[in-house]
This record gives sequence, C-alpha cells and structure tokens, in this order.
Amino acid sequence: MKNLVFAAIALTMGASGAARADAVLVLNSDEASYSILSRSGRVELARFPVGREPHHVIVTPDGKEMLVGSTATNELLGLDIKTGERTRVVKDIIDPYHLGFSPNGKWFVTAAYRLDHVDIFHADGYRLAGRIFIDGLPSHMAFDAESKTVFVTLQQSGRLAAFDLQTQTLKWNVPVGNTPAGIVMLPDNQRLLVALTGEDGIVVVDPKDGGVKGTLQTGKGAHNFWPKGDGRLYFLSNRVEGTVSLIDTVEMKVVGEVRVPGGPDCMDITPDGKELWVTQRFLRRVAVIDVDQLRVVASIPVGKSPHGVFMLRSGPARPTGGPIRAASTAGDQK
Amino acid sequence: MRDLIDIWVGIQTWIFETVVGPLLFGFGQMAWYEPGYNAVEFVMLGVVQIAVIAVGMRFFERRWPLEKPGKDDRLILVDQIYTLLNKLGVVPLAIFIVTYPLVQEIELAVRAWGFAPPRLERILPWLGDNALASFLVYFVLYDFAAYWLHRAQHAFPWWWALHSLHHSQRKMTVWTDDRNHVVDDLLITLALVLFSQLVGVQPGEYVVILMIGRLVESWSHANVDMNFGWLGNRLLVGPRFHRLHHALANPDERHIQDHNFAPVFSIWDILFGTAIYDTRNRPTGVADPAVDRDNDHGWTAQQVRVFWRFVRALTPKIRRATAL
Repeated sequence: MKNLVFAAIALTMGASGAARADAVLVLNSDEASYSILSRSGRVELARFPVGREPHHVIVTPDGKEMLVGSTATNELLGLDIKTGERTRVVKDIIDPYHLGFSPNGKWFVTAAYRLDHVDIFHADGYRLAGRIFIDGLPSHMAFDAESKTVFVTLQQSGRLAAFDLQTQTLKWNVPVGNTPAGIVMLPDNQRLLVALTGEDGIVVVDPKDGGVKGTLQTGKGAHNFWPKGDGRLYFLSNRVEGTVSLIDTVEMKVVGEVRVPGGPDCMDITPDGKELWVTQRFLRRVAVIDVDQLRVVASIPVGKSPHGVFMLRSGPARPTGGPIRAASTAGDQK
Repeated sequence: MRDLIDIWVGIQTWIFETVVGPLLFGFGQMAWYEPGYNAVEFVMLGVVQIAVIAVGMRFFERRWPLEKPGKDDRLILVDQIYTLLNKLGVVPLAIFIVTYPLVQEIELAVRAWGFAPPRLERILPWLGDNALASFLVYFVLYDFAAYWLHRAQHAFPWWWALHSLHHSQRKMTVWTDDRNHVVDDLLITLALVLFSQLVGVQPGEYVVILMIGRLVESWSHANVDMNFGWLGNRLLVGPRFHRLHHALANPDERHIQDHNFAPVFSIWDILFGTAIYDTRNRPTGVADPAVDRDNDHGWTAQQVRVFWRFVRALTPKIRRATAL
C-alpha cells in the first residue's frame, strides 16, 4: 500500500524534473525497455520501450545526458539525465554492448561483444577513428587516467587487451584468467582490477604490460565493480555465488559481503552513498543494499533480465576527466 | 500477476542456480550462462504445455471424441514420445546447437554491414505504448511466416519427404503436432528465428509466441468433435479445420491436403484461397503406402527412414536408381 501511495504521488507529479530527481533507471535487456523507479518509494513508476537488447548506460562528458547502447539496432539512445526521457538517437554505432568515454572526454569507445571488435570514436560527433577486430568476445572496459589507453576484457579467450586511443592500435593482449568481465582502474593509475566470471575472484593487473600482480578470492562468478566513492573501497558482484563483496583496494582484501540472489550484475550507488542498487538479472528485480549494514533492505520488481542501473540526477552528473573520475570509470560504464 | 511472475522466476532461478549454473561454471562454460538460464525457462514451459495437453486437452478428447477408440490407438504412443522429446527440450537443444552458430553468423554478417532490422514500433510508434497490441502484431506476423513455410513444406518434394512423416499419422490426437522429423524441425526453426529477428521479435516475446502457438497447434490436432462457431472458425484454427488438412486424399479429393495450412490464425487460408470448411468426417493419413509404413515404426526408425526419403528426394540420381 505504501508503495502504491508513492507511485501515485510520483505519477501525479508527472515527468517533472522534481519527480525524476528521485528516480532510478533500469535497462530491461530481454524485453527492450527501461524502467523508471522511485528511489524513495522503491517502486517501478513507468516502463518505456527502448531499442533492442539494451545492456549498458553511460553519462556523456557534459553530464547532461545518458547514452544507452541498443546493441541489436546498432544505435545509441540518448536519455535526459534529469527525466529519463528520450532526447536523440545516434545511429550506426555497431553492436554497442559496452561503452565509455575517456577521462578527458575526447574519445568514445564501444566494445562489440557479439561482433568481436572494438570501435574508437572521436567523442565530438561520434566519428569513427578506428575499428580493431579482436577475437574473444570483447566485453567491459576501463581507461587510464591520461586518456591514452583503453583496456578491454575478452570474455571468451580469457585475455585482456590494451589499445592506444590516439593510434587505434593494439598495445598488448595477454591472458589473465577464465572469463574476464568487469574491469576498473584504481586511483593510483598503477593497478587494474579484473573480475574473473569463470573463476571465484579478481586479478590485479599491471596496466603497463598486462602482467598479473596479484589475486583475490571473492566469490564464484566475480563479474562487475562499482566504487563506493572514497577511492578505496569497491563493490564487486559475484554472479554465480549470488553475493556482492566489498573490497579494500589498499589492503587488497574483502572487508564485507552481502547475499544478493538472482545473478547480481550492474550496480549504482545513491548520491548520499547510503544505498547500493544492484540488478538481479534472473529474478527480474533490483536489490537495494544498505551500505552501512551490508544487508538487502528491498528488492523491487522490474522487467526481464535487468542489466544496467543508473541514478538519475537533479542536475548535471559529474563531468568526466581527472584521475578520480578515472578511478570510477568502470563503475560509471558498468 | 507479479506474484505469478515471482513464483515462476523463483523456480527458474532456483533450478538454474542449483543445477545448471554450477555445471556451466564447473565446466568453464560461462559464455553460456545467460542462454543456460533461458533454457531452463524453455523446459519449464514445456512441462506446463505437457500438463495442459495431458490434463486439459485430453479431457475433451475423452469426453467428446471425433474418432472412437480403435485398432490404431497404438499409433499414439510414438507421438507422445515426440511430444516429450520436444517439449522437454531434447530435440530443441540439438536443433539449437546446430542452428545457433548459423543464425549468429547470418545475423552478425548483416549487422556488420550496418543493417539493423527496425522494430515495428519505429514504424508504428503507438505499438510501443501497448505491450499486448505489440505482442499480438508480432504473433500475427510470426503466424503469417509460419503459414507460408507450411505451404513450402507441401510444395517442394524434398521438403514433403520430411513433412510427410507428420501427415502419416492415421490416429490424430493432441500429441500429433510434435510428430516431425528433426531436419524438418531444424529448417522451420531456422527460418522462423531468422524471420523473427528480421521483424524485431524480442527473445521474451518469441518464447511466449512459441508456447501459445504450439498449444493452439496441439489443440488443432485433437481428436475432438468441437469447433469455435462460424466466426471463431474463421479467426482461429480448430480441430475440425485442421483435420481437413490431414484428410486422406481420395480420387475425388486428390489435393485436399493443400488446404487449411494456417497454424494459428485461419485468416491466412481465407486470404490466400486455401481455406475449406466441411464437417464431413474423413480418415486421416497419407495415401502413399511407403509413407503410411511410417506407422509401423518407433521414433528412431521413423527418423532414419524419413531421412533417407529426404535424401532420395534431394538427389534425383538416387531416386531414379532406387526406382529401377
């Protein structure tokens, strides 16, 4: 009943910025739609059609817009950062499964998961600078702080590849473990963390040459990262284990864990840092985790196979650029 | 409704996370993690379909049978095996393994050229705001494609060689719909999946269309003396309508099986001039004795002999040689 009241209030307020400042966007990847949820009411307010197989969402460098990769229609769909309403369509972006802007905002990169290539665009106008074909299901990406290199995990081949953004060429391509997925560059710009979905933890990788410098056991199916916001602690979803781990990246140890059933995947944290929202792919829900207590306090029904999740903003999101941004790059790109 | 979804995905998730997921993880096959989850749903839907057929549809067959029990009742057993193998995912899994790489290659090649099939919602924006209307439109399109594929099954000798297995059953029941050669199933699946991707059917919609469509088709093969009334028979395919498609050809009706092809919506037969409506009871089967002998065999033997029939139809030299 309480949820219904919240929903009614929010719907009465319509699509106003005030209503949506409290909203969360979730991409329902298997039914070509996105849900708008009330953050405080913890209820789905509305569901809208969007492309086909939408998986990930990212903020544009000016912080005013979200871009959703519609993988099966070869498009980017722009959504207003405040309201979640559609603003534009960027065509001819082939299989944009995963996407990201370099920290300086000059480069836009997409990983074509099913088509086995990485596209590097000039972010200004989304002009293709170079396409690099590479076997092995390119999936997630991270950038170095200088915006010189993009690192892309290759899920099928178990490798990690680094590409020079300026020349759009391969720098190195090395094995890192079974089914690497989520990747994040730490604030020191000296360590990459790579989640191994085919194993039970993560590896620490040297961004200079791809050398594995360490490992950390977290849970089966380690998949994706999200920064807690302090530059030190990171959340990690473990899809097979059905947990979210909290990792101290200085001590390199797991400092907390919470059970999240249903194949936990992408995450986002509320602006006040109190709640972590996690998509539960299999259960068609989004779990809300109390960050201090590390326990699930709600699980909200959404559409089929929810993947990307994003907190809508009352104003422009943080612009890209700077080392701190680089630290959270993988998180922002999911 | 949401409670039902929660129960359904709760069971699906439990099965997947307890059995299938750990197996995929253990064998290093995490690339199949999401498809594996969908496969669990496919099997669950199969169980539901079997329950609907075995309990619901069979009730009507027992209560209002068109054909009374007779010596051909023994022929039903093999059809039940077909249904179990299909609905529980054994045959679909084999077909998936064969067709998936092919469908992937075709789709990827098309998309790599920069062509992305538009969803109908792009042309008819109002569809995007109405999930039910959208589903129905895709369902009708899917059935339209299935109608023409069915006509092709009868038009090409090599395809008829396969499809004749389906028609060889002399005792039609709710189990008959799944009686198909695996190569026939493979070709139909391949064509319908490609068509669905072309027009933009979503994976979730595809599963529901498949389930509802196959249930209607199971019902249309039922041995029941029922119909949907004058109007209903012109909208939806029922047992009387489809039984005419399975009727045994006779000197006066040599091409009776070239009618009533529609899988679900009979409107296609009306629009394209292939509909006939008649309430006279006729025996079913195929007049060709070689095809009729399918009834003397079990699942494996049927698959083998029909495959050779298919090969002979494909290769005129072999066909001529065996005719000598």
